[in-house]
Amino acid sequence: MTHLPYIAAAYALAVLVPAAYGLAAMRRLRLARTRLAALDPRPARRETRRETRR
Amino acid sequence: MTAETSAAPGGFEMAPRAAMFRSVDALSSLATPAPPKAPGRSLHRFANPGRFLRLAGALQPWLTAGGLILTAAGLVWGLVVAPADWQQGDAVRIMYVHVPAAWLASAGYLGLAVCSVLSLVWRHPLADLAAAEIGPVGAAFTGICLATGSLWGKPMWGAWWVWDARLTSVLVLFFLYLGHIALIRAFDDPTRGYRAGAILALVGVVNLPIIKFSVDWWNTLHQPATISLTGAPSMYLGMLWPLALTALGYTLVFAALVTARTRAAVMERRIRALLMAAAAREDGAVQVAA
Amino acid sequence: MTRKRRRLYWLLACGLGVGSAAALALSAFRDNLVFFVLPSDLAAQHPGPDRTLRLGGLVAEGSVVRGSEDGHPLARFRITDGRDAVPVTFSGILPDLFREGQGVVALGTLGRDGVFHAAEVLAKHDETYMPKDVAEALKQKGLWNPKAGPPPPASTWNTLAPAKAGAPTKAGG
Repeated sequence: MTHLPYIAAAYALAVLVPAAYGLAAMRRLRLARTRLAALDPRPARRETRRETRR
Repeated sequence: MTAETSAAPGGFEMAPRAAMFRSVDALSSLATPAPPKAPGRSLHRFANPGRFLRLAGALQPWLTAGGLILTAAGLVWGLVVAPADWQQGDAVRIMYVHVPAAWLASAGYLGLAVCSVLSLVWRHPLADLAAAEIGPVGAAFTGICLATGSLWGKPMWGAWWVWDARLTSVLVLFFLYLGHIALIRAFDDPTRGYRAGAILALVGVVNLPIIKFSVDWWNTLHQPATISLTGAPSMYLGMLWPLALTALGYTLVFAALVTARTRAAVMERRIRALLMAAAAREDGAVQVAA
Repeated sequence: MTRKRRRLYWLLACGLGVGSAAALALSAFRDNLVFFVLPSDLAAQHPGPDRTLRLGGLVAEGSVVRGSEDGHPLARFRITDGRDAVPVTFSGILPDLFREGQGVVALGTLGRDGVFHAAEVLAKHDETYMPKDVAEALKQKGLWNPKAGPPPPASTWNTLAPAKAGAPTKAGG
């Protein structure tokens, strides 16, 4: 394959940056859900129940 | 999906943009077939955070799974199966990540502009939150577009960067995203931040046609568009398929990221409101006791 | 409702203002935004020998002479836009895509002798993407000479069956 370093770098960027964003979003969601459940169990319960059922 | 694109290959440039519109605007238009007896005017029906969380939560796994599968399939196809270009060799494979990122950079900004109109005119509370969450994701995709373009330009053109109209206007888009990210968080009163951010985003919309048409209006080092609405794409079909897959996959990934972040933002706002209410109650109780 | 409508009209008016201001500014800067000038522009402008500028166009067919001078590679070729052609000299490594018929952009100065002395040569690639076997098939059938100009309309080749083009495409990766 010609120009392999350039291709590898481009694909790595294109995969790793969205992956990092995805992991950060997942962590943020989980944190928000647990904090909300601790404060206000009623609506959060609905959300978590749906989550565990999946 | 495949049948659709092969039937109208020319129409496919607009596809990610249209899908983006739908997904970013998920807050307002996603559930058009919503219960008819919902109160209020059509847009504010979806301002209810509980309803948004339910809808977005149901949509999230589909967006995430679809985005991951399509992107992975498109990237593997583009990297391994698709033929090398007759003059660029294998370097053409960078196209399969560069072009979708470029489309999403513009389409994401369009989504930001839609949220800004909803925010300024209709004072839609979810549009404010969504606008604040689109910014960083759009900036990331613009960054990917610029970086992969640089990695493509060095071996093909012979330069990492040139100041031609296309590259410069995309760099301006990147700075618009960064400015929006900073401005919308710059005020103690979040409402003022939302207004200022929305105005900046809308002024920046003039940059979108400049990006699109820069390669036609001026002499640029960047080549003109390969895929247009009017003519057949000047690209071999065996290269067009993986590009279509990654474009669709990236669109879903973008939508999934924005949806997840907006869900988190809605919950965080609720947490803040509950904490403030609790603090006010405590304050009141202390005053009563004293 | 009326307040919303007022805000909407206000926004539309502002958009119109910003849009027309941008359009005016762009049309005013139109000539300054070009990344390169064409050989016919150069013939009309006669820039001074000290002015650094970018010259763009196609490498004229049969004009490339690769030699060396003092141990450095020295390439001579002509850049043409179909109407005028400018002779160019360049000492350095040419990009991979450089060939006759290819679009290039050269940064340098126009000497008094009418020769453009390039300090940097960038290759421009066009917007067509095709596998090697398809390009070969088009050349063999006499449908396209890459040295002479752009390929035929895409609809004539972008669905070309790999069998017709020689080796199966899937093996091309």
